Amino acid sequence: MKLAQYIVQRVFAYFLVLFVGITITFFLPRLMPGDPINNYISQVQARAGQSLSAEAVQQLRDSLAELYGLQGNLFTQYINYLKRVVRLDFGPSFTYYPEPVSEILLESMPWTAGLLLTTTLLSWLIGNGIGLIAGYYNKRRAAAVLEFIGIVLYPIPYYILALVVILILAYWLGLFPLSPTFLPGPISWNKVVSILYNSFLPALTLVLAGFGWNVLSMKALAIATKEDSYVQFARLKGTTDRTRMVNYVFRNAMLPQITALVLSLGFIFNGALQTEIIFSYPGLGMTMRAAAGAGDYNLLYGSIVITILSVATAALVLDLIYPLFDPRIRLGR
Amino acid sequence: MIRLENIVATYTTHRGQVHAVEGVNLEIPDSTIVGIAGESGCGKSTLMKVLYGDIGFPLSLSSGKVDYGFVNDRGEPVTTENIRDEWFRRISYIPQSSMSSLNPVMRIRDQFVDFPATAGRKKEVLAQVRSFVQKLGLPPQAIDAYPHQLSGGMRQRIMVAMATFFQPEVILADEPTTALDVVVQKSILLLLLDLQKEMGNTILLVSHDMGVHYQITRKMLIMYAAKVVEYADTDDLFQQPLHPYTLMLIHSLPTIGDDRARHGLPGSPPSLWEMPQGCRFAPRCPLATARCRREEPPLKEHVRGRFSACHYANSVPELKKTLEAGPKLSEINVMELMAEAERDI
Ligand SMILES: Nc1ncnc2c1ncn2[C@@H]1O[C@H](COP(=O)(O)OP(=O)(O)O)[C@@H](O)[C@H]1O
Ligand SMILES: [Mg+2]
Repeated sequence: MKLAQYIVQRVFAYFLVLFVGITITFFLPRLMPGDPINNYISQVQARAGQSLSAEAVQQLRDSLAELYGLQGNLFTQYINYLKRVVRLDFGPSFTYYPEPVSEILLESMPWTAGLLLTTTLLSWLIGNGIGLIAGYYNKRRAAAVLEFIGIVLYPIPYYILALVVILILAYWLGLFPLSPTFLPGPISWNKVVSILYNSFLPALTLVLAGFGWNVLSMKALAIATKEDSYVQFARLKGTTDRTRMVNYVFRNAMLPQITALVLSLGFIFNGALQTEIIFSYPGLGMTMRAAAGAGDYNLLYGSIVITILSVATAALVLDLIYPLFDPRIRLGR
Repeated sequence: MIRLENIVATYTTHRGQVHAVEGVNLEIPDSTIVGIAGESGCGKSTLMKVLYGDIGFPLSLSSGKVDYGFVNDRGEPVTTENIRDEWFRRISYIPQSSMSSLNPVMRIRDQFVDFPATAGRKKEVLAQVRSFVQKLGLPPQAIDAYPHQLSGGMRQRIMVAMATFFQPEVILADEPTTALDVVVQKSILLLLLDLQKEMGNTILLVSHDMGVHYQITRKMLIMYAAKVVEYADTDDLFQQPLHPYTLMLIHSLPTIGDDRARHGLPGSPPSLWEMPQGCRFAPRCPLATARCRREEPPLKEHVRGRFSACHYANSVPELKKTLEAGPKLSEINVMELMAEAERDI
């Protein structure tokens, strides 16, 4: 059956991407100059204000190597690394010693995931909705206004968009905080409100950033789909514009948009990292930047691996729900 | 009876306006299958659009209207003005390509009940559709499928089912079977013929295939360069055409058991942008005289019920005999034929 083949292909591609990504993550930092253990030891020595004996240094070196999975030759290290990735055990963090990396990631991950899921979904829905109307009614003046939104938003670099939004909404109008302060403690109604309030600006910039492209490409797709014989025949059937726009044009034109979304997931994640840094948002991006700045290898490994894992998984999930929208794949040719 | 009154259909393009159907006056009796033939670009599809009332940019009606000869629910006569309200109720349309006329992501049953005519009674209609498609040689579950799950022939049967389900007075079919293989083509046309016999609709069928016209239609309409050049009962028209263009169309039809070389149609029709003066067919016509190049022949009833737009309609039988004798069109002694033609007048 065709569907089974499709699923097997996607799952296979998923594991292949994970494997390649994780392997590159292992080798890339090893090409960088500097030795993390030496770094750490010199930090300890600087803090202690005295030099340690050679034996003490060697002892420290050995235990650190064990802790960070750096004993043995490259191949042994690689195998050990893979084993730890499978268990999602990245050892302790360097900067927050002895807190395990996995726990730090567990804390920051939901922030990023929550922000990204909401904004991606919103910008896809709103962007495609506007693009659909602009394309379906492309002969009308109002449609040109809608398209204009896309044309204006699309080419603006993300950081400029973010700065403009901050400038207007936070700095001039003072509607939102410049940097977020989240209520601590367990989940409560107030906490939810504070999260929504504080996340509004970063979310808004992400929606606006994703939006322009969706408007423009959906508009082009809708214009082309509108001329397809089945839409023309539906018109001759006497169906209403609403029926044609939604059931005939959108349901077909959204298929390439889902595929495009899958392909752009990596970039969306990229955008989120910038957002978190610009807005001091406590997600994975901030963690990753802190880790890179402090030379915290384990934390860096962990956050990169988690990133690869989540982007690939999101893509897989989209790929797997795609057949729900396209009967030609669901039911075979 | 459908009455077409001086129809002029015009396309507005960046080069200016062009008449794709010009001055068509016709009466089509009820419950008749009318075949429409002519080379591509002669305006067949445009005439179908006008008949369907699908008039909108870039197509406009510069003059004339169609009177359909029946009244709507409010008792008003149905004409070009209000025919749109009758789409798939009193008039329906079978598109050219069944392959691509159905929405690939919707089940066929859902596409069967999104007509305005079915609003509010989808369940009831679907039950009727299920038994109706069985009559058309389809399994009732066929309507639960998506288009890609059916063969080309089955899909075209679905299109025929849609066009006939509401029992419209008029069915328009613009090359409804061109994308299908010959055997399937034939079964679809015979199906349409059966349904027509039962329901008594008027069908207008555009086809390139003169053989199909001969088998299926009762009347024939021959078009050339935006004009109707001949309109007559199919039997008469095939037996004795009264326009040289019709004769040449029929003559280019291969018949089984006849291995004489067929004459294709030499030359090509004039561009709509540069119409010759006089008869539009004159540059390709073996009968053409100076008069033809000067004076445009009107569509006239030469014999009762037989309309032709040719100054020398009476000489066409002679031309036919000559053609049937076998010589190539280029070898025909035009002078002789013309002399005969002059004598006939
Ligand atoms: N949308 C259009 N815009 C401009 N010209 C058109 C359009 N559609 C058809 N035409 C012109 O009108 C003429 C008749 O076309 P059509 O009715 O489709 O011919 P047929 O169906 O007999 O092949 C052709 O010369 C064609 O170029
Ligand atoms: Mg045509």
